[in-house]
Amino acid sequence: MILPRLALRNLLRQRRRTALTLMVVVAGFLALALAGGFMAQTFQGLSDSAIRGGLGHLQVMPPGALEGDEAQSLEKALPDGEALAARLRRDPAVAEVLPRTQFMGLLSSGAKSVAFLGTAVDPVLEPKHMACLDALKNGAKAPGGAGSRWLSADPSAREVILGAGLARSLGASVGSLLTLMSTTRDGALNAVDVEVVGLQDLGLRELNDRLLTVSLATAGQLVDAGSARSRLSVVLKRPQDTAAELARIQALLPETSVKPWFELASFYRQVKLLYYAIFGFMGLVLFLVVLLATANTLLMSVMERVREFGVLRAMGLQPGQLVALLQWEGAFLGLFGSLLGLAATLVLRAGLNALHIQMPAPPGTSHGYELDIHFVPMVYAIVALGLQATLQLSALFPGLKAARLRIVEALRHV
Amino acid sequence: MLQFRNLTRAYELGGERAGVFGVSLTVPKGCLAVLAGPSGSGKTTLLQLAGLLDQPDEGAVLLNGQEVSSLSERERCDLRLRHLGFVFQAFNLVPVLSALENVMLPLHLQGVAEAEARRRAERALDRVGLADRLHHRPGQLSGGQQQRAAIARALAPDPLLVLADEPTASLDHAHGGPLMDLMAELAAERGATFLVASHDPAVIARANHVFRLADGKLIEEEHL
Repeated sequence: MILPRLALRNLLRQRRRTALTLMVVVAGFLALALAGGFMAQTFQGLSDSAIRGGLGHLQVMPPGALEGDEAQSLEKALPDGEALAARLRRDPAVAEVLPRTQFMGLLSSGAKSVAFLGTAVDPVLEPKHMACLDALKNGAKAPGGAGSRWLSADPSAREVILGAGLARSLGASVGSLLTLMSTTRDGALNAVDVEVVGLQDLGLRELNDRLLTVSLATAGQLVDAGSARSRLSVVLKRPQDTAAELARIQALLPETSVKPWFELASFYRQVKLLYYAIFGFMGLVLFLVVLLATANTLLMSVMERVREFGVLRAMGLQPGQLVALLQWEGAFLGLFGSLLGLAATLVLRAGLNALHIQMPAPPGTSHGYELDIHFVPMVYAIVALGLQATLQLSALFPGLKAARLRIVEALRHV
Repeated sequence: MLQFRNLTRAYELGGERAGVFGVSLTVPKGCLAVLAGPSGSGKTTLLQLAGLLDQPDEGAVLLNGQEVSSLSERERCDLRLRHLGFVFQAFNLVPVLSALENVMLPLHLQGVAEAEARRRAERALDRVGLADRLHHRPGQLSGGQQQRAAIARALAPDPLLVLADEPTASLDHAHGGPLMDLMAELAAERGATFLVASHDPAVIARANHVFRLADGKLIEEEHL
């Protein structure tokens, strides 16, 4: 164990230089770990909004439902969706099944008509599992949204909740009476008068401008859906088992197509790819900075110890052992740098989170969010391992240079 | 014990040809031999060839009858580790290690267990009069004490041959003489062979064998 001891003493010999090198490693750890925590917050937020925005963990739909122009019509629907939902509710892994009917048409205030995308939901089950009440709370802050409430459980009530942008374009507010027009499954034109009971802010402008929500009973009357449902949103008891349950439930329902939420949440996937690209590039740059800074330090250290290396080689140290000595120095720099970086990250993370910083609304979304950098042990481990590998790599060249020294020249070195 | 057979190692120094040329000599076992001569006479070059730190252009180095100068790098490393000890003019102790750790270093490299290495290093340091300086770093020792620690480091692994390059050159007369007395005593006591490169008369006066060099050639051999 003489090499680790020597390596440690050598690092302590040049305390200021070692401290500066450690600061580079700490800064690298800090930046990457905080960025990882920020990414985790973003991904968590996006996945929550996708799942609780209506997708559930799994979506059961008719095969080919996502293809062609008929995605929003009942021509491609689960013929007896309610029976299928009842069957799935008996599955021990399933917490709840939320049937949905999707339709489209025109919404008219009399003076003006606007095209909409409609979703019909169960007014009792939906608030228990989805974030519809949050969207309603946000929508209540929009012009005309005061007094917003959720849909009544009464099947005879004809009510609608409008996206804030859709309400604005029609000049509608809570209490307004509008007419929903759409086609039935048979292709006949149909209309239903509805009362606006709330506005919703779904977080994405495109959705707010087009989307409305009604009860399944209202949609049933409008499009003559019967027991057909466009999709079933399945909420699992153990969300972490989504991938496994996907395969199992697909096997149980071969006549349907079962999709996990992450395949359907295209915004989530796009943001994830974008973040991976941005932070991947940033990580690469940081690793390069650490690599060059530490390689420079270790190389300087080698140049100052040429005679010492000559003596060690004269005493019988093999060239490979000199490489190992430098590797130990890199290993200690990486280890201590990561430990200090971890401590600094935890302190800074706690400080930043305590400040309750409001982040601006991301592109395409309608409201900001509070910064909450997550603690992600896996990210910290990956950063530490990455930095450790970088340090070992940076110690390689100085080590090889030391190993290639000619002993007689090294002994003469001044 | 140590034999040079027609050894030649030439190099350029300041535009002139220097080194050693056709040197043959034998250093008997257990003696204190000195390579004497002025600067540039080839003393250090011969010492480096004997220590397997360099390789001859021609000729051979034999240690205990075995030709060793043409061994592979790994074999020469191993031979240095197990059978050779070095004492340098500038002491060359590892500055970040204590005197005790410096002496334990070659033992550790040999794979000697910690307790055994410590026992042998303490004994070697005691023998050179540094029993009360075990935990001092080189920077906390005088020049004479550092050279004594270097001798202890060279002797602790019980080498066949100790090579010393101008060991008294960095010491004043008051320290150089006693240091050579110590080396002479150790040579006699341990049966180890010492080959010292020096032009110091105090060193030559304590030698059993003196090989005088000039311009890279052996010009005289004395048995004292």
